[in-house]
Amino acid sequence: MDPIIRLENVSFSYKINEKTKVSVLKNISLSIFPGEYVAIIGHNGSGKSTLSKLLNGILTPDHGEVWVHGHNTKDTNKKRAIRQAVGMVFQHPDNQIVATIVEEDVAFGLENIGVPREEMKKRVDEALNVVKMSPFRHRPPHHLSGGQKQRVAIAGVLAMQPECIVFDEATSMLDSFGRKEVIQVMRQMNNMGMTIITVTHHMSEAAEAGRIIVVEDGEIVMDGTPREIFKHKQELEALKLEVPSVSQMAEVIHRQFADFSRDIIHEHEFIGEVEEFLSGGVGS
Amino acid sequence: MSSEFDISRNITIGQYVPTGSFIHRLDPRIKLLIFVFLVVAIALNTSYIGNAVGLILSLYLFWASKIPISYGLSGVKPAIPFIIILAVLQLLFQGQLFSGGKVFVDYGFILITSESIRLVIVSAVRFIEIIFLSSVLTLSTSTTELTHSIQSLLSPLKKMNFPVHEISLITTISIRFVPTFAIEMEKMMKAQASRGADFGSGSWWRIIQRTKEMFPIIIPLFNIALARAEDLILAMEARCYTPGGERSTYSVYKAVTKDYLILLVGLLLTLLLLFYPFPI
Repeated sequence: MDPIIRLENVSFSYKINEKTKVSVLKNISLSIFPGEYVAIIGHNGSGKSTLSKLLNGILTPDHGEVWVHGHNTKDTNKKRAIRQAVGMVFQHPDNQIVATIVEEDVAFGLENIGVPREEMKKRVDEALNVVKMSPFRHRPPHHLSGGQKQRVAIAGVLAMQPECIVFDEATSMLDSFGRKEVIQVMRQMNNMGMTIITVTHHMSEAAEAGRIIVVEDGEIVMDGTPREIFKHKQELEALKLEVPSVSQMAEVIHRQFADFSRDIIHEHEFIGEVEEFLSGGVGS
Repeated sequence: MSSEFDISRNITIGQYVPTGSFIHRLDPRIKLLIFVFLVVAIALNTSYIGNAVGLILSLYLFWASKIPISYGLSGVKPAIPFIIILAVLQLLFQGQLFSGGKVFVDYGFILITSESIRLVIVSAVRFIEIIFLSSVLTLSTSTTELTHSIQSLLSPLKKMNFPVHEISLITTISIRFVPTFAIEMEKMMKAQASRGADFGSGSWWRIIQRTKEMFPIIIPLFNIALARAEDLILAMEARCYTPGGERSTYSVYKAVTKDYLILLVGLLLTLLLLFYPFPI
């Protein structure tokens, strides 16, 4: 299977002034395949957000190449095709809504790529349905909660029918309720076949993904399933990252009761393990 | 809680009152056109009867749109000082220019004639009529409809390379961010007040002092606006926005026979106000 996004020896640095440059990404190679659900984690300043901005040509690498569907992101003629294939949802819910009414904002991207009106109506309806914002379609955005605004932003990207959506810390400004709403939408879209890449520092959110990439100091230091990654508690702590809180709790219990599994990353697994433990199923 | 900082609640721009009347359902472009016609007609009409007709018409529009007249009056209230100052100035100093009719007072440079009194009364009534008309327009039309109709009415200018869509996008984005910045400003004022800053305690005539008080708010607000703009550019670019690019539009208005009939009525009224020789 061909990857949707392929990074080849990518390096990137921000210019501070004529002389000094800060190197953010160093020689990264990475492939993202269709249908994957990838979480990119790393502490602040590790370069994870910069990495996400390279994926649809908002930034272009200093060295190396980024290929989206065989288009190089440095090719300005292909910019539109690349951004249509890889949509992006940003951190601030307020700073990415353009229009004064929800449905018009969802239509903004479609207007930009010149979708005919009838088709546009259909796609706006569908996108609002997926994120469950149809009842709010005629509302002005400032009457919505953070989670609702972020779902509108997702609908705006979704309506453009991309193959992949990148969430650049899209849940970090939300309360836990809003975060749950957005994560639910991500999962649902991934189930529909959409490739999801989420940049996050919430470990419970990363645990939802099928693959975790850990970025440290501009380099990929770990790449694997959540279960594999979260086994390396010490290494993660050295990178100023932690494992999900349920894993921490399981670890604490495991120290007291060796039969209680420490290999837990999801809430429902934890509950299952507790139930089994109480009923005497484990170890007896 | 004191309402001193509740700016976002006091914003009247885009205060849309949905009553579902036939005026609300009118094609917004037609509404805007008739509004422009009537304002021009009222601004040029100098007769008492003509302006009485205009006043009755604007009151009728309030009634027809089922919007409480108090909304219109609250628009007139802040304008009253201006109307009074204007009336006094006109009465005292414009007599020489409008010196027709009977002379009532002729004292030094002050000349008050029946013509200058007409000017004073007509301008005051005109002011009120135009405030009423624009209130009906903005209260019965959402900001989105307004920006779309401006875009649609200006679209013939596209042929002359006039950036119609860009202008309408700029308008939309500014309207979109008014409440956002109001909330932002509220937060900042509260934060600064909690650290001892003093807002609004100076008397209203001490304009310089009151302006100075606003600096600690305005400057960070500019900063925030620029940061937001940068984010917004990224988000727009990520959604394939290309300035000046070929694009389609989501909202399209279709005027029906009823709309054209109303336009005709509006035009007739405009012509009546402009050209009918009212006796007084």
